[in-house]
Amino acid sequence: MENKNDSIERTTSYFATLWTIFCKEFRGYLGVPFGWVLLGCTMALQGFILQAVLQIMTHATGNGVMYHMLDNMNFWFYFIFIFPLITMRCFAEEERQGTLEGLLTAPVTTTQIVLGKYFAAYSFYLLLWLPMLLYPLVSRIGNYYTEIRYGIQPDSAITYMLADWVGPYLILALSGAFFIALGILCSALSRSQIIAAILSTCLMIMYYFMGRVTELWGEFPAAPIFHYLSSTEQIKSFASGVIDTRPFVLYISLAIFTLALTKRLVDYRRWTR
Amino acid sequence: MSMVTADHLHKTFGRFTAVKDVTFSIDKGEIVGFLGPNGAGKTTTMKMLTGYLPPTAGTASIAGCDIIDKPLEARRHLGYMPENVPLYDDLRVLEYLEYRARLKGICGKSVRKQLGEVIDKCGLEPKRKNLISTLSKGYRQRVGLADALLGNPDLLILDEPTNGLDPNQIRQIRELIRALAENHTVILSTHILSEVEMICNKVIIIDQGEIKAADTPENLTRGLRTAGRVSIEFKGDATPIVSELEAFEPVKKVITEELEDGWTGMLVRAEPGTDTREKAAAIISAHGYPVRHIYRQIPSLEDVFVEMTRHD
Repeated sequence: MENKNDSIERTTSYFATLWTIFCKEFRGYLGVPFGWVLLGCTMALQGFILQAVLQIMTHATGNGVMYHMLDNMNFWFYFIFIFPLITMRCFAEEERQGTLEGLLTAPVTTTQIVLGKYFAAYSFYLLLWLPMLLYPLVSRIGNYYTEIRYGIQPDSAITYMLADWVGPYLILALSGAFFIALGILCSALSRSQIIAAILSTCLMIMYYFMGRVTELWGEFPAAPIFHYLSSTEQIKSFASGVIDTRPFVLYISLAIFTLALTKRLVDYRRWTR
Repeated sequence: MSMVTADHLHKTFGRFTAVKDVTFSIDKGEIVGFLGPNGAGKTTTMKMLTGYLPPTAGTASIAGCDIIDKPLEARRHLGYMPENVPLYDDLRVLEYLEYRARLKGICGKSVRKQLGEVIDKCGLEPKRKNLISTLSKGYRQRVGLADALLGNPDLLILDEPTNGLDPNQIRQIRELIRALAENHTVILSTHILSEVEMICNKVIIIDQGEIKAADTPENLTRGLRTAGRVSIEFKGDATPIVSELEAFEPVKKVITEELEDGWTGMLVRAEPGTDTREKAAAIISAHGYPVRHIYRQIPSLEDVFVEMTRHD
């Protein structure tokens, strides 16, 4: 840098800029009521489902609590809507406010912006599942209470068994990686948050139904493709403790592809504005 | 050394051509006013310089860095304040400026120092902890300007920096821009012509996507048709005076009219850059007529603007 700028410390580090964008975006979830409302609602819904799951678990099934939490129609009810809600603001809001212009005229690459927003949304998504880790603890407190109050020692259904928890969390993290990317792509398509949310909900439901095609049509020559894509089947197998490497490849490659597409789209929309 | 060069910049939106083959260069330390009617292509040109809108053809460079080949380097030399100042409403002033400072690659202890500096320069001290959504238009404008100043960029591009401000605020911003000119190159667009006359040392007039003129305000007004016009009011017979005046070399035409109170008004059209006041006064006083008004029009930038951009 030239003479007069000597006094200012500067960095051209790729990750420093990425980190700046990530922090700002992540704070955009937790610094405003939006994130807390979403977190609260998700926790409430998880609680309702837990209540139903405990009913099921009174008949010994041999599966952990997480298996029943995820292999459940009610789970998909809210799971699908989490993604549009988290991601609809990402680019649509920037575009509506006009702040994308400031962002793109700063010394920042489009890839940095897309990745910063993506990782922030993804981190927030992961955060939504953390409260479930408290279930065994809460259940243990309940057991102590029962013991003190009634003098019986109950058998706790919810335990910290590694096998019960790793699989479900892995598949939530993996599928979420792709679905968040999908939501961000939809957000970059429009300047309206509503349109972005409708689009990504629609795509999510379509993807969900792709996984159920074999249930409707039975087995046919192309059926393995649908089995491969099926989130419901993957969740079932991961939740029962079988960790398959195929979904890793599927979701990570889909996420990268979707993010690359988003980057192209953000650049393309500048050309046609 | 030239700070900005625009090389045959061209931009079309579908079938509409917003900017046609625009070429200019701006030297270091100049304050350039971008003038033009609404929709003339000012903002489009500025957006192309910032690298936000890719040009359909042509290119530009900032401080020697091409905006297409080296966009990041070019943007590091640039502070940009977009039209209408888009800001994040849910951040506080200080948070916003810190975010912007870090985006611009400022780090370490310099962040705090830079923030203090721009907040001080733009008079944002009383509002530094306020939410941006609660700020008045004037303060939003200042936040935008503070943002552009972060990192002490070589080039400032300000799109209508005084738009929507009250006269006092306009004066403050003007003083600020003038102070900045000492070590920055500034490009600003505005509708307020008097503002340009006061602070700019170069004017680029653009209309329908083409550059109509690019020069200093003095040079632009010098060659104007209205330059050199003299208006006179006197009492007496106009006919001999008209014929004597019209015989005088630089005078092209003399128009007279009877004023309501019996005096005669006269408009002398002469070559631009000449002064016919002395001659006219001598002729009238030779006839012994009283004179109550004699005035040579000083053409303003407004006249230049109207002449360059009117389409009738």
